[in-house]
Amino acid sequence: MAFVLGIDVGSGYSKAVVLEDGKIRSYVVIPSGGDYREAGAAVAKAVLDKIGITRADVARTVAAGYGGNMVDFADDTSTDISCHAVGVHHLFPSARTVMDVGAQYSRAIRLDDEGRIVNFIMNEKCAGGSGKFLQVAARILHMNVSDIGDLSLKAQKPVEFTTGCAVFAESEAVSRISEGASPADILAGIHNAMASKIVTLAMRVGLSPDYAVTGGGAMDVGLVNSISAELGTKLLVPDHPQVTAALGAALVAWQQIKV
Amino acid sequence: MAEEKKGRAVATSTAASIPKFVRGNLSATLKAKEEGKKVAAAFIADGQDEIMRAMDIVPAWGESFSGVCAAKRDAEKYLQKAESDNFSRSLCTYATCNIGFDMMREELGQAPEGAPWGGMARPDMMLGNGQLLCDPRFKWPQATQHYQQDVPVFVTNMYYPPWDPNGDHHEVEELYVKYAKEELHETVKFCEKITGKKMDWDRLAKTVELSDKTWDLFIDTYELRKHIPTPMDTGDAMNTMVPLTFNLGTQEAYDFYVSLKAELEQKIKDGIGVADPEKFRVIWAAGLPSWFALGDFQYFNSKGVVFPVEVTYRGCEKIERLDLPKTNDPLEHIAWRWVRYWTHWYDAAKKRPGSTPKVERIIEYIEDYKCDGAVFHSAFSCRSWHAGIMQQAATLKKVYEDIPILIMEGDIVDISSYNEADTHNRIDAFIETLAAHKARKG
Repeated sequence: MAFVLGIDVGSGYSKAVVLEDGKIRSYVVIPSGGDYREAGAAVAKAVLDKIGITRADVARTVAAGYGGNMVDFADDTSTDISCHAVGVHHLFPSARTVMDVGAQYSRAIRLDDEGRIVNFIMNEKCAGGSGKFLQVAARILHMNVSDIGDLSLKAQKPVEFTTGCAVFAESEAVSRISEGASPADILAGIHNAMASKIVTLAMRVGLSPDYAVTGGGAMDVGLVNSISAELGTKLLVPDHPQVTAALGAALVAWQQIKV
Repeated sequence: MAEEKKGRAVATSTAASIPKFVRGNLSATLKAKEEGKKVAAAFIADGQDEIMRAMDIVPAWGESFSGVCAAKRDAEKYLQKAESDNFSRSLCTYATCNIGFDMMREELGQAPEGAPWGGMARPDMMLGNGQLLCDPRFKWPQATQHYQQDVPVFVTNMYYPPWDPNGDHHEVEELYVKYAKEELHETVKFCEKITGKKMDWDRLAKTVELSDKTWDLFIDTYELRKHIPTPMDTGDAMNTMVPLTFNLGTQEAYDFYVSLKAELEQKIKDGIGVADPEKFRVIWAAGLPSWFALGDFQYFNSKGVVFPVEVTYRGCEKIERLDLPKTNDPLEHIAWRWVRYWTHWYDAAKKRPGSTPKVERIIEYIEDYKCDGAVFHSAFSCRSWHAGIMQQAATLKKVYEDIPILIMEGDIVDISSYNEADTHNRIDAFIETLAAHKARKG
């Protein structure tokens, strides 16, 4: 019986996965807050507490993500890009293009048939295709981010945003509200604008089916539908899309102790 | 596990003399008046270097000064000054940084206090040059003239035949050369008028001859970087380009490459490389660097990644390869050299369907320098040179090989575009991609 721990300290949320003999035993997601070192320690404690073990019981820990280098108790670090690749390939061996929609960054990763990275790209200083856009939408509509997806599915006539910029879209959304557009139509419009950005990003690494969507954005069914419509095909979505990179980090740790 | 930061394994000691060159160029503008010389605000890579050198005109390189401000992370106040007069941040930040500096110098009547290395002197003339490389050069001197209304501006145009896969550029090359030669003649006339001196044509011919020798020596020196492990990478080359780029036609520039070549030969003999071990070789395939973040090259090196070659600032070629027609007119020679520098990749590009000269050049370097991947830097404020970078990367993959590519996006001067942690994260992921690619190739 061997436990390994994978940690992904993202800009918005920290995620951790424990594998026992290579199988998922526990996972948690907590907000990262402003201190990545503390977030790494807290998410590790939370995931281990859940199954009643301590760090002393863990054979190896691999950390990834924006704050991965701050996890000082990790045995190794990897990039979130690589960990996403490993995690997605484990869950969906047929996936060749991964679109990860994180809180601050979106990434597109192209994989080969063995799950190795062929190429990747990240969005630049633009919130247009990231989870930040959804947070902005939730704020102006006075609702929780988690409720956005279901509500957007009720859209009758999605608003067409003239901009892909989250900052300008915020004022445009406010204008549409005052013109009487329904929240559902506004949200569906935001999803379409985001999907367009995300698919454009993926095109830059070369679209190759099957397509997987991960990250917090993949928990939004409306966004997933919009990306699916933009690509004209069904998408692979993990049951717990936020923890894909943490799962990948844990799998890297598992591979390392098996060697 | 905390990130282990290593110092650079090796940096050429010859490159360490570069700040002296840059500082010397700036102080030459400040001393010009007392030496009875005229100062010209000038731009690089436009064929005017030898004319200025042969007439003892001191070039004031605005691009270099803005780069120095950026490298010292001291550009913000000049950018803000230009912004205060409605120059957008999305304009070339070499231009806006320099214009902001000029605005302050005009207001104060002297270089602003604390200006990097004393700043640059007020010019006696401005030599703009619209060419295919950089569009701000039409407007930058004209915009500056708003603040220095008594300083005459002369804008020339140096063109080369545009790439047309279905056309034959050889048929029109001579026309472009004729046009460029006329423009250079007009430049000479303008300089004669401002300086009150006549061009010494024999001196110009000798200056051009020295430039040609420097071009050849530069390539001979840089080709030593093909060696594995490479004795010098792009981190150094962003410095060692200075003599070629800013001091062409001077003995000092030629002598610099004599020293650099000797040092690289010694390093090869001693088996000293930039990275130990050298794990991956990548090409800096396009784009000016972020001058405030040159340390990122050391970050690459610390991970075993080296850049044995770069397209940027390799602004010359072996003269023999250009197959220049014989002429006794030094201006005609400069014109031919200018046109052929750009067009000599055209024939190779035509042989590979779907390719372009810029991509063909990258492919040639990838093969000659045995590169595993490519890094492109897209600087948001330098539109004319960076606009086609995504297309170049896509074409490279399509017509050559699906090699790992990292596209970094930032700026040349504006540090607000930069996030070190994010950049290093991308570099790490790129290195993992290089490893996967190498494993796939076996």
